[in-house]
Amino acid sequence: MSGPVAAEPPPPTSLVMVNGISKRFGGVRALRDVNLEVRAGEVHALLGENGAGKSTLIKILSGVHTLDSGAIEIAGKPVAFDSPANSRDAGIAVVYQDLSLVESLSVADNLLLGREPRMRFGFVRKRELMAQAKAFLAELGIPLDTKVTVGSLPFAYRQMTEIAKALLGEVRLLILDEPTSSLTSDEVRILFDAIGKVTRRGVGVIYVTHRLNEVFEISQRVTVLRDGANAGTFVTAETDMKRLVNAIVGTDRLAPAASRAEPAAMRSFDSSPILSLSGVSNDRLHAVDLSVLKGEIHGLAGLIGSGRTEILETVFGLRPLESGACAIAGRRWLPKSPADAIDQGVALVPEDRHVQGLVLDHSIERNLTLSRIAYFSRWGWMQQRAAARRAEAAIVKLAVKAQGASSLVRTLSGGNQQKVVFGKWNDPRPRLLLLDEPTVGVDVGAREEIYGVIRNAVRDGTGVLLVSSDLAELIELCDRISVIVNGRVARTLMRGEIDDAEELHHLLQMYQASGQGVLQELPA
Amino acid sequence: MTELTAPNVVASSTRSDRRRKFLQNLLRGERPYMLYIAFVILLVVFSLSSPWFLSLDNFLNIGRQTTLVSIIAVGMTFVIIARQIDLSVASTLALSGMAAALAMNQINNSWIVGAVAGLGTGALVGLLNGVLTTELSIPSFLVTLGSLSMARGLAMMVTNTKPVIITNESYFAIFGEGTFLGIPVPIAWTLVATIVGILLLHYNVFGRRIYAVGGNPTAALYSGINTKWVTTAAFVLTGALAGLAALVLSARSHAARPDVVQGMELDVIAAVILGGCSLFGGRGYILGTLFGSLIIGTLNNGLVLLGVSSPMQLVIKGAIIVAAVAFTKR
Repeated sequence: MSGPVAAEPPPPTSLVMVNGISKRFGGVRALRDVNLEVRAGEVHALLGENGAGKSTLIKILSGVHTLDSGAIEIAGKPVAFDSPANSRDAGIAVVYQDLSLVESLSVADNLLLGREPRMRFGFVRKRELMAQAKAFLAELGIPLDTKVTVGSLPFAYRQMTEIAKALLGEVRLLILDEPTSSLTSDEVRILFDAIGKVTRRGVGVIYVTHRLNEVFEISQRVTVLRDGANAGTFVTAETDMKRLVNAIVGTDRLAPAASRAEPAAMRSFDSSPILSLSGVSNDRLHAVDLSVLKGEIHGLAGLIGSGRTEILETVFGLRPLESGACAIAGRRWLPKSPADAIDQGVALVPEDRHVQGLVLDHSIERNLTLSRIAYFSRWGWMQQRAAARRAEAAIVKLAVKAQGASSLVRTLSGGNQQKVVFGKWNDPRPRLLLLDEPTVGVDVGAREEIYGVIRNAVRDGTGVLLVSSDLAELIELCDRISVIVNGRVARTLMRGEIDDAEELHHLLQMYQASGQGVLQELPA
Repeated sequence: MTELTAPNVVASSTRSDRRRKFLQNLLRGERPYMLYIAFVILLVVFSLSSPWFLSLDNFLNIGRQTTLVSIIAVGMTFVIIARQIDLSVASTLALSGMAAALAMNQINNSWIVGAVAGLGTGALVGLLNGVLTTELSIPSFLVTLGSLSMARGLAMMVTNTKPVIITNESYFAIFGEGTFLGIPVPIAWTLVATIVGILLLHYNVFGRRIYAVGGNPTAALYSGINTKWVTTAAFVLTGALAGLAALVLSARSHAARPDVVQGMELDVIAAVILGGCSLFGGRGYILGTLFGSLIIGTLNNGLVLLGVSSPMQLVIKGAIIVAAVAFTKR
């Protein structure tokens, strides 16, 4: 598959040379002798698990951190940054995951924020501002309407605005930090087109991501970091997925992961349903019929907005069930609130761990206890010792990498934060576990560990309802997969009926296209 | 389970570890020392510059003067940790005082009737604040701005702005002028409120829920916490404590007046913020609040003893509050 960029071979001039840089934070060696070369017009992917040193490297390039030893050259000239402004002057621009746009202002206002064309007394020349912004976007070839407010744009277009903003002025190196982590596949396509346009102007791009398939689609070369050191640089066209994963995880850890992939089909499970929904409807769902058996992993496949998350929300009491019936372990039950659902033994690992799953400024122990407060109290008083013991146990059991139970959750990496969200429901074991995108933004190693946690849960008889956009993940984990289109179950597949993600992908597209769904319209 | 090893986990807590943890628990917060140091510096400065400052009598004086702010600040700590604000506390105090005095005079001049009416009125205003905030999702800043005005207006309406004289001797003794184990009762009530606050916030389930609701309301909801109920309870607690403060004030002055303590909500909020609470919720502790109140009380007292003019006192007090918050914030 040839991406929009691969068609144009990059000129082999070296734009940025990072030579043997090291960085230490207290006792931790975040970077050890790291080398990186980015050529003009090249998309250079940067891979590695959370904590491998990607962020540190980016922060050094963007002038947030200073380096301890080593050197950086731009176009052959040595540079040293002691502030972000410094790095910006040298032509390096960074687009972070969380965007820095003012949602209530228009695209043009955002682009030229702080450098608006002015009249006397600071009045803005509105027409000139629009014209400048329009001309700049046209030059980049980015199809954005300058008059639209940023808040009303789909995420990909906001990201494009951000990229355009970063490119204003003299930019030679653009750094994108996980730009696709919250995009739909259509939006990813739009973003890739924009990146292609940027590289054609001779700008070098460092592309940080967890999604390996994107690496093959967009990058010319890949550098992998592991434990703060180089774990290999590859020409993308000459390598494959397996070698990259090897470099990221390290060969020693890959073997057990493979052996753990015991076929779920071989497990026999009780045929009594933990959850059964019949004709469940509300504002987003239409007569959903669904069941989850004891010890079963039931997957929900569908596009964003298809109603898959809404099914979980309805069962968890976050969304009113207007008609139809819901039963837990054979007993009829109407979910009224999350507290009610938890009482019934239902647990939810929500989609957005930062917003819905965790209190970032509180300790691991506090977060783990949050969902089980009543369980750890007697006559209303906290059993602090018991809560602390359970937290320590959960940290060991889930292999959370942290100083201890009193570490703030904010200081953990994405994968470890997600393990804490799982830990909230670890003990006592829930009867039904609802998972919404459990491995988004989680590195390869932690992902395997989370799969282990899920498999462990079903082995003990928990039923799992799993929503995921990662079709390979559904295929690997699920006993049954239901395809959700427009708030309906379009089809339920047994394990063995479908073998690979490619096939599932086609099936999804087919149901979507067959009039049962309306694809999201994007403004041009 | 996964076969991976669990790295860097603190396996067992050593003795020094536990001691450190105990200290942390005692002080609750990232940089609480600044607060205590500031308090000590304040004491030293005033002791050196005024011969009257350093005496037991004067300290009891400070304690008595700080009572109203300290008591209400305990409740305000819960409200602010839960990411809300209550601007109505001073008006609630005035209304509760009127209710207590009128009820007592109407029904056999019994101090119990007075106490129930005062606390109940305060709690009722708190309940209203809480329900309006959570059920109609109006920001509490606006809800309590409204009840600030309404409660004060009601307090003035009931007697057409005239004070109500109280004659019950046991009421005076219990809430205003007596002593308990040698401690003047206003200070004893402050201690009671503080201890109840510490137990509720740091050792009770309710406290955990308050922190969670303030730290991240969505995550709290997703964890099965009834966030509306928890938020409302914080307002009710604050209202009831404003009622308690009203009992103390009216017992001390032998009368309830509808125009008392105007603007005191600012002292209360300042005390809580000085004490290390984050206005963004999720962080704070009761002992800090007590010291915050004491700092404000000591400032008021010391500046008077130094003979600073009252306009100048306002300027100095404001500047010190802003400086202290700038120092103690993360």
